[in-house]
Amino acid sequence: MNPFEEFALNETRRQFFARGKSVVGAAALASLMGGSRLGSGLAAAAEATGLPGLAHFAPKARHVIYLHMVGGPSQMDLYDYKPEMEKFYDKDLPDSIRMGQRLTTMTSGQNRFPVAPSKYKFAQYGQQGMWISEMLPYMTRMADDVCFIRSMKTDAINHEPAITMMQTGNQITGRPCLGSWTSYGLGSENDNLPTFVVMVAKPSNTEQVQAISARLWSSGYLSGEHAGVAFRASADPILYLNNPPGVPSEIRRRTLDGMKALNELTYQQVGDPETHTRIQQYELAYRMQASIPDLADIASEPESTHALYGPDLKKPGSFAHTALLARRMVERGVRFVQIYHNNWDHHGNLAGRMPDQCRDVDQPCWGLIQDLKSRGLLDETLVIWGGEFGRTIYSQGGLSHENYGRDHHPRCFTMWMAGGGCKAGSVLGETDDFSYNITKDPVHVHDFHATVLQLLGFDHLKFTYRYQGLDQRLTGVEPAKVIKELIA
Amino acid sequence: MSRTGITRRERKWTKRTELALRASLPGLVASLAVCLAATARADDPAPVEFNRDIRPILMENCFACHGPDSASRKADLRLDMRENAIELGAITPGDLDASEMIQRLITDDPESQMPPKSAKKVLTAEQIDLLSRWVMAGAEYQPLWSFIPPKRGELPAVKNEGWVRTPIDQFILAKLEANGLTPAPEADRRTLARRLSLDLTGLPPTVAEVEQFVADTSPDYYEKYVDRLLDSPRWGEHRGRYWLDAARYADTHGIHFDNYREIWAYRDWVIKAFNANMPFDQFTVEQLAGDLLPNRTIDQQIASGFNRCNITTNEGGAINEEYLVLYARDRTETTAQTWLGLTAGCAVCHDHKFDPLSQKEFYAMSAFFNNTVQNAMDGNIKDTPPAVFVPPSEDRDRWDALIADLADTKARIETRKAEARPDFTAWLSGAALETVKAQVPVDSLRFHAPLDEGKDAEIHWTIDGQGGSQTVPSLSWEPGFIAPQAYKSTAGNVVQAPAAGDFEKDQPFSYGAWIKLPKDGITGAAFARMDDGHDFRGWDLWIENGRPGTHIINKWPEDALKVVSNTPIKPGEWTHVFITYDGTAKAAGVKIYVNGQAQPTSVQADVLKSTIKTDTPLKLAQRSTTSRINDIALQDLRIYGRALSGIDVAALKAATRAASLVAKPADQRTQAENDELFTGWINTQDGPTKELNAKVAALLTEQNAIKSKGTVAHVMQEKGDEAMAYILFRGDYDKRRDEVTAETPAFLPPMAPDLPKNRLGFAKWLLTPEHPLTARVTVNRFWQQLFGAGIVRTSGDFGVTGEAPSHQELLDWMAVEFRESGWDIKKFFKLLVTSAAYRQSAVTTPEKLEKDEANRLISRGPRFRMDAEMVRDYALAASGLLVSKVGGPSVRPYQPDGVWEAVAMIGSNTRDYKADTGDALYRRSMYTFWKRAAPPASMDIFNAPSRETCTVRRERTNTPLQALVTLNDPQFIEAARYMSQSILKDGGTTPEERIDSLALRVLCRQLRPEEMAIAKASLDDLLAYYNGHENEAVELLNVGEFKTAPGMESSTLAAWTMLANEVLNLDEALNK
Repeated sequence: MNPFEEFALNETRRQFFARGKSVVGAAALASLMGGSRLGSGLAAAAEATGLPGLAHFAPKARHVIYLHMVGGPSQMDLYDYKPEMEKFYDKDLPDSIRMGQRLTTMTSGQNRFPVAPSKYKFAQYGQQGMWISEMLPYMTRMADDVCFIRSMKTDAINHEPAITMMQTGNQITGRPCLGSWTSYGLGSENDNLPTFVVMVAKPSNTEQVQAISARLWSSGYLSGEHAGVAFRASADPILYLNNPPGVPSEIRRRTLDGMKALNELTYQQVGDPETHTRIQQYELAYRMQASIPDLADIASEPESTHALYGPDLKKPGSFAHTALLARRMVERGVRFVQIYHNNWDHHGNLAGRMPDQCRDVDQPCWGLIQDLKSRGLLDETLVIWGGEFGRTIYSQGGLSHENYGRDHHPRCFTMWMAGGGCKAGSVLGETDDFSYNITKDPVHVHDFHATVLQLLGFDHLKFTYRYQGLDQRLTGVEPAKVIKELIA
Repeated sequence: MSRTGITRRERKWTKRTELALRASLPGLVASLAVCLAATARADDPAPVEFNRDIRPILMENCFACHGPDSASRKADLRLDMRENAIELGAITPGDLDASEMIQRLITDDPESQMPPKSAKKVLTAEQIDLLSRWVMAGAEYQPLWSFIPPKRGELPAVKNEGWVRTPIDQFILAKLEANGLTPAPEADRRTLARRLSLDLTGLPPTVAEVEQFVADTSPDYYEKYVDRLLDSPRWGEHRGRYWLDAARYADTHGIHFDNYREIWAYRDWVIKAFNANMPFDQFTVEQLAGDLLPNRTIDQQIASGFNRCNITTNEGGAINEEYLVLYARDRTETTAQTWLGLTAGCAVCHDHKFDPLSQKEFYAMSAFFNNTVQNAMDGNIKDTPPAVFVPPSEDRDRWDALIADLADTKARIETRKAEARPDFTAWLSGAALETVKAQVPVDSLRFHAPLDEGKDAEIHWTIDGQGGSQTVPSLSWEPGFIAPQAYKSTAGNVVQAPAAGDFEKDQPFSYGAWIKLPKDGITGAAFARMDDGHDFRGWDLWIENGRPGTHIINKWPEDALKVVSNTPIKPGEWTHVFITYDGTAKAAGVKIYVNGQAQPTSVQADVLKSTIKTDTPLKLAQRSTTSRINDIALQDLRIYGRALSGIDVAALKAATRAASLVAKPADQRTQAENDELFTGWINTQDGPTKELNAKVAALLTEQNAIKSKGTVAHVMQEKGDEAMAYILFRGDYDKRRDEVTAETPAFLPPMAPDLPKNRLGFAKWLLTPEHPLTARVTVNRFWQQLFGAGIVRTSGDFGVTGEAPSHQELLDWMAVEFRESGWDIKKFFKLLVTSAAYRQSAVTTPEKLEKDEANRLISRGPRFRMDAEMVRDYALAASGLLVSKVGGPSVRPYQPDGVWEAVAMIGSNTRDYKADTGDALYRRSMYTFWKRAAPPASMDIFNAPSRETCTVRRERTNTPLQALVTLNDPQFIEAARYMSQSILKDGGTTPEERIDSLALRVLCRQLRPEEMAIAKASLDDLLAYYNGHENEAVELLNVGEFKTAPGMESSTLAAWTMLANEVLNLDEALNK
């Protein structure tokens, strides 16, 4: 290597390690410089690609699979068992419970707020005797794998701000999401795959799907490489991944070699270090072309996998299918996998739709967790399940014993986590008889984020990014705390 | 004392702490202080300067608790204000011992140490030294540089004067020389031709343009080339594109449904303004307040769309006030970011932590943007009010003329009305009755029952010219409308006419009557020939919840038509209802007229396959047995054996009524009846009025024709009230505090008292000569567009937290120059691109990378990856595919399937992406439809913003996903093929000539020999492959809509396509 080139290369290396610049670029650079793939050990990964000085603690989770149920699942029909409500059937929600709290304009004009008891049967499971609805038969089998939070609360009352809050810690769009923060903090473990992947699963029932948008996985003020990469159930799992028809891999390789040689000459002429980065990005793109089809091809999965995830696994884009892909991604070092599953917005016809929703996700969630466990991945993978808010005990629209609807309810809802150092087999939080107000151990979205960051090895107060002169953080400026009871 | 013990109540904290300090650290503090002071004296280095040396330290470590934010301020101490700091003893100029701030920094007593441990900030010894020297030197403060109005300073002296072409160069060179750097040599002409074209038009030059520039031997070759580019319509597109990021322009509402918003007229306005070189002050005023200008033009209203580009919602359940607050906030932040370069958003919840912008001032500023009539909910419609119609530019004059002409014609109609009374009176006394009656259509009248008998127990009618009747024992009557008595249905009086109205489904027919409904919400048959015992066969004049409609049925519901008007008719009021059916067996063939006007309808059944004939008689007020309406009154029931035209129905209605009025003795007519008669007469009998009415109709037709070609502008419109806003506790919409009126922030020059306290006044205030920010912020963004980074790198933050300028004197000089030039944008850009600084070669050296890594000193020419739009436009332009049309609605080029569908709501009208065809595939990227929830996929990957909020600086990453776009996107493959096709046709004959032709198109230069060898080797391998793989060659050539010219050899063209793809992906091609 000529001295000038060497200088430039060192320069690039110095820049990178000094500033934690392009994560992917760094990985590529390492191989350019004759280095092998980055170590797979956590320390090596953090040293090589994460932020200097991180993590703050020994991380318990190295990966996250976040299953977001878009629309806001009804907590009292799934997890927050309220037997007293039977007596209140069609009676008005007492003012002493509502306490004048705001409602959405979809029900604020209702003359009455008649209580709709859940029509579903509940029983207790696991060592803590967690009440679980009959609609979740697989969930009942793993009560002791899971850490339930029945006392989640949020600030927003409508979908757009609430889902933005859940993902980015702020109701107003423009902040980085949890996945981007994780990518920023922990960096990549795989040279050939994105660090943060997003999948939008197709629900089998689509009666009232809610909007989601690419802004939910944007990197906000963090650098663009921390944005989620959409992974699709199509021939092109990542946009533009495939060569055009008539261009086999060897022809692509041939043109890349030509580009590389010409770009090297440009570099010698102009001396811009970015030219070398570009060469490496093209090489990385080429490697992704090989590694992603391999990741997406589930044909090699044995029958036992199908038994775990259930019959939907054969349907590309189903929740079961994306759940399995999430496991395969985590196995290959993807840091954060976000799955969205829609149609949980049950303003009406809850009884007609909820069973489909539960069937879509119940077995695959169980299958995913058993699968991770049997592969030894559950300890280091945090699985999160939940929506953007809960639903009201009072009925929206028509009420009968057999069917009812429920409006948005931000003041309490249920989420669960598994693996990744959270406290398996625990149940946190209680709500009043109406599942309306939290009576014990509230967990605000910010607290939840602080806790997840803690599991990933970050002190949420110190895990910051300088923007507009302020040390911005996921948990914002209001006080937030790590919920110790959720941590093993 | 404990740190936490310091509260705002303890104003005398200095003394007490001092005592504590002295008690805990005897001697040490004093000696250290002496030592520091001694250092300051002994070395006597460069004097300490507040802005450069001190403010950054205070900002980083102290201001969060001792700065502008009153809510988080501790101990009432402000270290950003000298008087306050001195008053409270934190600083005593010239005396370290008496400067509590210094003492607290150097103590090791954890109780009194500053910054407190919890802040997790530690000052370095060097920083403490700086602060100490500053205190010793008198602790002089400076206002932040950017809040002081810019002045045109002296040009700095330079050694290498020969290098200087413009005053800009003098500033740049002085700094380079001070840093021991020399400028790079001037770039070669080819490089400059390409750079200038990309910077001024966003597109590469054509091969011919480059060659002309290279061959031009005139002394002003450079200026001529620049002028040509500045005159190109591409200039306005390119400059406009940057502006649209700030304006957060997009084609959808943004939140929830994210439906289409038709606002491209604003985009066209921006392009036009730049192309016309509209001065930046006018550009500012029209966008911020075009709607408030006296005698505003339609263009000025369109310009006010700047404040309508914000994201909006229509989510069910959303609370209006919450979103109105968000919209006003977004407008305030966008304006502050774009013109003031300030991050005002920080003051939404509390006083700004660093800049002197209080929360109150934020809301006072937001009041300017709060005073709008716009609703919180956008309605999911494309033209959310306030919106105005925009005729196509070629029809503007005619549109305006039409409006005037219409008004004039209508005035003449009124005049004629006043003059026509004598003619009317003459007519009334003449053959009025006969003329009126003659207007009632008689052609194909099959059945007519006047229903005006009044007392007889018989109902009479005419059927096919023959009289007929039915005797009913107990008929009821009530006062009529076109005759004194009217039939009224009461229980038991079933009136039926067996032979009337028997039609087949393919026969046109019409039916109706004057009707009066007894009350609201009536449902039933006004009359019908329908056998409800046999699948409801037949037809009826149906009233459904007061709305008139009809069924035409073989078998209900599967073999039937049902059409119902959308609006009910008023009960208790005589109304003419008429149905026409054209015999097509389609719901579209049914029209419903109320008082002679066709009604908007809902179709509830639209499959009619079989006969509608039935033996059941025509019955009044019911079907054969059911759907009875009691107390309905009917007059003048008619059935025609044809579909009456709209004119026929209107005439029927008017004439039947008029005939009754004329027949009435004049002294019995009321004034209202006389007026009604007059109106009917003048519209049907009066020659001059008929002529004028015909003219109005023609003008309206023309107007509608223009309307169908035009678009809509989202505009601003003030409420009548004085602009105001509420201070919101923590920014929460439901936690209102004091009311504030519109004011500009106190740290900026005051608004002149004669300026109105609205957006117009605000815009003019921004442009006052003493305003420190507007010109600076603007020229800085222009600089950023050319050099990749602004002189203030944080181009959206000129406040305390922004980065210091790299060349403040230059920035100030340019700001003044720009303003004094009359805010002339083209002139300013010409100044920039004719500078020696700009004309430098981009070649860097190890020395420059060491001393000027990011080229902040401009030690070389600008070189960076182009923006998303330019990357795509470059391939289209170089290939020759680019369509040069300027402006118009957004287009949908190629995009992978599922990008929109994955996120959009069912029912959203931007859920399904369907690519356009033809020219729309090859327009400039700034015209690509921008859906906010899923921005154009290939551009998103290249750091295009989501356009949800104001963006004044884009990121510029370098990622593998970007490589995949330019390697594989059909848009790029097709461009490579198209380019190859023309190279094979006219790019020479030898491979080398053709490769050079390719290089000239893409890189604006020929390849050097070592490059040629590489390209040639690639080509040979590609040819070898595709010669043996004809099928693959054909597959590759099928990418993209554009058809390959006949006679092209597939394998050769495929090989060249991939070579072109290789060259289009070169680092050199992707970089400016």
